[in-house]
Amino acid sequence: MIYNLVFLLLFMLGFYTILVKKNLIKLVIGLNIMEAATFFWVMALNYREGVIPILKTGSKAAAVVNPLPQALILTGIVIGASTTAFLLTLIIEINKYANVIDLDILKGLRD
Amino acid sequence: MKNSIVILLLILLSALLIFSFDFIPEQEIVVDSTAEHIITKGLQETGSLNLVTAILYDYRAFDSMGESTVIFATVSAIVLLLSFKTLPVSSQGLSFIVKNTFGFLAPFIFLFGLYVITHGHLSPGGGFQGGVILGTISIILSIVYGSAYDYRKYPPKTKTLLETGGALLFLFIGGLGLVLKGHFLANVNPLINEPGRLISAGVIPYINIGIGFKIGAGLAIIFYSMIQKTYVEEELKS
Repeated sequence: MIYNLVFLLLFMLGFYTILVKKNLIKLVIGLNIMEAATFFWVMALNYREGVIPILKTGSKAAAVVNPLPQALILTGIVIGASTTAFLLTLIIEINKYANVIDLDILKGLRD
Repeated sequence: MKNSIVILLLILLSALLIFSFDFIPEQEIVVDSTAEHIITKGLQETGSLNLVTAILYDYRAFDSMGESTVIFATVSAIVLLLSFKTLPVSSQGLSFIVKNTFGFLAPFIFLFGLYVITHGHLSPGGGFQGGVILGTISIILSIVYGSAYDYRKYPPKTKTLLETGGALLFLFIGGLGLVLKGHFLANVNPLINEPGRLISAGVIPYINIGIGFKIGAGLAIIFYSMIQKTYVEEELKS
């Protein structure tokens, strides 16, 4: 299926960013790309034909998409936003004390 | 050199994952009885038209409480790391035109946030989404009017009060369910319960209001801590 390949591409792009890049902010961006890829994949796997899961009073219920993964992903997005905010805070603190956000320089490998 | 090794490694990993995709069962084979139950019985059991809201604040309300606890922990950690520092005002605000335009727009943004929060059980939206819209007001205020203005208009004490108030409202509603129905966060129906009305779906709108203010205030506090928005004494007096 095409969404599997798209998920793979996005996930590996994020993974590549985390493995190769040295800038701490780029690492957070890579983590976010991986996160978004996972959310997209869960939503795409559970997709089935139907209207949005908001019923209407009076009319007969039509085929509705699965509301369960949507609720789960909503939780995931909130947790992802929290972890991103916390990671950025840590980067702000590191920048304040070391005045640099490059991993190599922080570890003393490069000046 | 190092890049090529990493790319090779990732291609290997992708190949392994592609083989494992074959083991994912097809959608038609999986009998998702939980989703079927929620779709067919959700409206009668909870009174909420929006099934996602019904899951979040009724079936899995305890989980939503844990989620809001995560936000609370994040806000606490960020404030702990970034507070106790005094810096000069970090921004002085934008031009006259931008200030006036935002002054005109701000009440409407607030109204839209309140609408999304209170209609969470009828239309797309809910506490989390509306709370983020409310949180933006404080963020735009400190960008457009300068950081000292936001400090004076909505001091951190007010935001902390709103955040803890929202969390306590959630806990109070949970306790209400414990007292009236016997289990925590049960959906008690104190008022009329006709699906489609604004006041319906039991306690779901009230949980939404609590969560909305909690998330909005929490995001505002995170932003406030991140830009190190402290004030100069003279500016506060003027």
